[in-house]
Amino acid sequence: MRNISRDHIKAILTLLPSIILIGVFVYGFICNTFWTSMTDWGGSGALAENPEKNYIGLSNYRDLFTGFLGGGFRQDLVNAVFYSVSLLCGAIGLGLFIAILLDCKPRGEGFFRTAFLYPMSLSFIVTGTIWRWMLAPNGGVNILPSYVGMEKLPLKWLTSTRTILEFNWQNLWQVLLCVIAFFMIMAGLWKLKDETSRAGKRWIVIGVMTGTLAWLFGDILPKALFMEELHGFNLATLGIVMATIWQYSGYTMALYLAGFTGISQDMRDAAMLDGASSAGYYRFVALPMLRPITLSAIIILSHISLKMFDLIFAMTGPDNAETGHPALTMYLTTFRANDFAKGAAIAIVLFMIAATFIIPYLISSYRKGND
Amino acid sequence: MIKRFSMGTLLLYGTLGLLVIAYLLPAYLAFVTALKLPGEITLPRSWDLPAEMNWKSFSQAFSLLRPNIVNSIILAISATFLSTLLGSLNGYVFSKWKFRGSEIIFTLFLFGMFIPYQVILIPLFQTLRAMNLYGGLPGLILAHVVYGLPITSLIFRNFYAQIPSALIESAMLDRAGFFSIYTRIVFPLSIPGFVVTSLWQFTQIWNEFLWGICLTRYQSNPITVGLAQLAGGQAVSWNLPMAGSILAAIPVLLIYVFLGRYFIKGLLAGSVKE
Amino acid sequence: MALVELIKVTKQFGKNRVVHGIDLEIKDNEFIVLVGPSGCGKSTVLRMVAGLESLSGGEIRIAGKSVSHTLPRDRNVAMVFQNYALYPHMTVYDNIAFSLKMAKKSKNETDRKVREAAEMLELTPFLMRKPAALSGGQRQRVAMGRAIVRKPDVFLFDEPLSNLDAQLRTQMRMELRKLLMKMKTTTIYVTHDQIEAMTLADRIVILKDGNIQQVGSPIDVFEKPASTFVATFIGNPPTNILSGIIHKKNKAFSVKIGELILPVPSEQDFEDGQEILVGIRPDAIKAGEKILSFPESWRFPGEIIVSEILGGQSLIEFMVEGVNMIAEVEGRILECPGAFMDLGFDLNRMMFFDSITEKAIRKR
Repeated sequence: MRNISRDHIKAILTLLPSIILIGVFVYGFICNTFWTSMTDWGGSGALAENPEKNYIGLSNYRDLFTGFLGGGFRQDLVNAVFYSVSLLCGAIGLGLFIAILLDCKPRGEGFFRTAFLYPMSLSFIVTGTIWRWMLAPNGGVNILPSYVGMEKLPLKWLTSTRTILEFNWQNLWQVLLCVIAFFMIMAGLWKLKDETSRAGKRWIVIGVMTGTLAWLFGDILPKALFMEELHGFNLATLGIVMATIWQYSGYTMALYLAGFTGISQDMRDAAMLDGASSAGYYRFVALPMLRPITLSAIIILSHISLKMFDLIFAMTGPDNAETGHPALTMYLTTFRANDFAKGAAIAIVLFMIAATFIIPYLISSYRKGND
Repeated sequence: MIKRFSMGTLLLYGTLGLLVIAYLLPAYLAFVTALKLPGEITLPRSWDLPAEMNWKSFSQAFSLLRPNIVNSIILAISATFLSTLLGSLNGYVFSKWKFRGSEIIFTLFLFGMFIPYQVILIPLFQTLRAMNLYGGLPGLILAHVVYGLPITSLIFRNFYAQIPSALIESAMLDRAGFFSIYTRIVFPLSIPGFVVTSLWQFTQIWNEFLWGICLTRYQSNPITVGLAQLAGGQAVSWNLPMAGSILAAIPVLLIYVFLGRYFIKGLLAGSVKE
Repeated sequence: MALVELIKVTKQFGKNRVVHGIDLEIKDNEFIVLVGPSGCGKSTVLRMVAGLESLSGGEIRIAGKSVSHTLPRDRNVAMVFQNYALYPHMTVYDNIAFSLKMAKKSKNETDRKVREAAEMLELTPFLMRKPAALSGGQRQRVAMGRAIVRKPDVFLFDEPLSNLDAQLRTQMRMELRKLLMKMKTTTIYVTHDQIEAMTLADRIVILKDGNIQQVGSPIDVFEKPASTFVATFIGNPPTNILSGIIHKKNKAFSVKIGELILPVPSEQDFEDGQEILVGIRPDAIKAGEKILSFPESWRFPGEIIVSEILGGQSLIEFMVEGVNMIAEVEGRILECPGAFMDLGFDLNRMMFFDSITEKAIRKR
């Protein structure tokens, strides 16, 4: 940079208040929450002028992950993971599908776009209120099939207590390893299809080995819990997933549609002359070109699903255990039970999960900006 | 391309038609339910049209939610105004007055946009209490302004990146300084940027719930909290929450329908970077 | 390798008709250049041959088969776009290989063909790069590689050189010519640049407002333009077009332009007093020693208005007997504006056009 002029000093001074605000309110507060999570702040005197706080190290986290009373939180966490994954698949898949339909330039495209995107402008509280009524067990969605001559749906939606894909929290490590192995095998197969390289085979071999070992000798891994505790995907969450997809698939649609429109007509023409069908064009040309858009969609949607609070609050009320979510539990623990320290620990767990994908994303976009 | 009115076209419009119906169903259900008399609302007949229009639900819901709506209007307008103004200045610095480290600072700003807000909730609550701002609107406005800074700075930075640097440089040769370039050149050019950003901020703040419920006392609750309370009470019949939902949705829906172009721009600016 | 036939091809966008019934037969291995000002419909014609635009009327045949309702990918044509349309997320290798991949060719075959094409275009060192890391000329070559690798029946070029700077354009033009001579494939090439048309084409098709003005070899369209439009469009600087009146005296014709009287040397049939347009190419006007071989009646003193020296030649705008013209003469003309110099008109190359239709009046 050139030598710093008076104007540059003015520029920095203009920015300074914002820097201080962000520094304190974002970074300072995160540190403060982290500190709080390692104290025993809570109980009856928690809201006093100078509440008693003692440093107790990581024991709040230990309680959450392995403690006797943390089972609810663990179920919430598992739920949140399933919730995120199904939201990502649903909203991105559906949004992409609609975007491709609209990319065919049907008549009335503007109307269609408006109809698909309007839920996005609503508050989660509005969405939640309406969808609570939509998913009422003996009405709404469940009786829709009867209008086209089919049986009513028997689903209980938000109050369902059924769980699928259950696993024992004791075997957490084993399960994690199997999941990792699964992804490695998938990645390997993906590579094999595309390239002649040997990297693909290597991924598969390592994946298969990890999976088999974890499956056969998982017993010798340390137990994550002292007793058996089953967790899985609460089907009640499915209703929340549906409402969120309804609200956010329009968003991914808008992202992809903007991306498709940004690709020049020449590119599509070239692909057609090169012998690609419409499907081939999207599969080999358009989607790979829009990888940055897919990435931002994943980031934004994961972020939304991780902090999801309003929608669940409005759809099921705060006390519905079947649709629990750490963001909701954090609120209840902190502001209902006045257990500030544990609430802070839950918040930090959420933050850590978010940070694992947001920090690399920001670093890579920072690097790109500097190119 | 070869135009063919074939199965493909039929399939396209058929699929789109079905999808549109699916997306509009919740809105339809909200309207018919809001327009029914409480006695007429039963689960098995929830999709039927009302026997007679009961517009009273809306006036009833409005009188119940009026204080919340007033709060939300004050909150959304003032917080939107402040955060947009600050964001504009920040964006101006980030795009036209880059200095060593400004990109890092910008990235650090962006991080504030992606954190789950639960992680700052407890210190925010404590700080507002210590500043005697807890429970009222000023505290909530402060929170929205501060945490709105990343997104507003981002939108303005990307917007100002489109203003050619030659324009700034020629102004500098004309002896304009940091602030006169902003007021005479950049600001007049950024009306669309202000529209995009303020619409985006307005809808975000109008729709926000977590801080509303955690940081305000009853008399300062914004519309979302009011609606949640209205809908949460089990005794209330369904026409009121539905009418309330529609009332709460109207300002943002109006923005979306009439200024949709700008709304979508804000939406894209908040997620796709250059 | 194929014959391409356009039969009464029309194209309409809404109510706006941009191509008015074009008939054209392109022979096997022929290099045809479509040239014309922007908006003349040349790119539309090309895109209709590619199948990227539908026909509003008429028919297109490739190798004898009607392709009017065939999808682009089934026509076996390859196209090089003005902005190259390279896939930005693929390497040079993958860009070139893409059409083979779509055709489900085996990996070995693909690899062999891609490397062959890359070798021919000197792209081998860049195969693993992405288009963003290439220079303009290299991108241009990748676009060509993508077209030649599949051995299409027809090559289509849509202003392929217009995004390059002047020096590179000349170089690439020559490379293109060499390459296509090797490939021996029917080629349709669209450009607005008459130099490209003159240097590359076997036959030039000059289009204006969706109509064919003239089809002919480069020499033909240069020396025997079918209309004043062709006469001014082909050749730089453009032909001087002047309106004059025919005088008949003792079976000999002369044409009076302003106060300037030029004898008509060739056998032409005119009426006395007929109004016509006369075309004189700037390079048909000579100066210095060259004019000594001309008859006296072909020589006139001209007053220099302005002159530009272009290396070995000079462009002069001059006035003779009240008529303004431009001449391109050998040597460096150093005289000042206002000075007079002797000029000779090569009247054997004089062209005549109908004053109303602006079409050429041919010799008997």
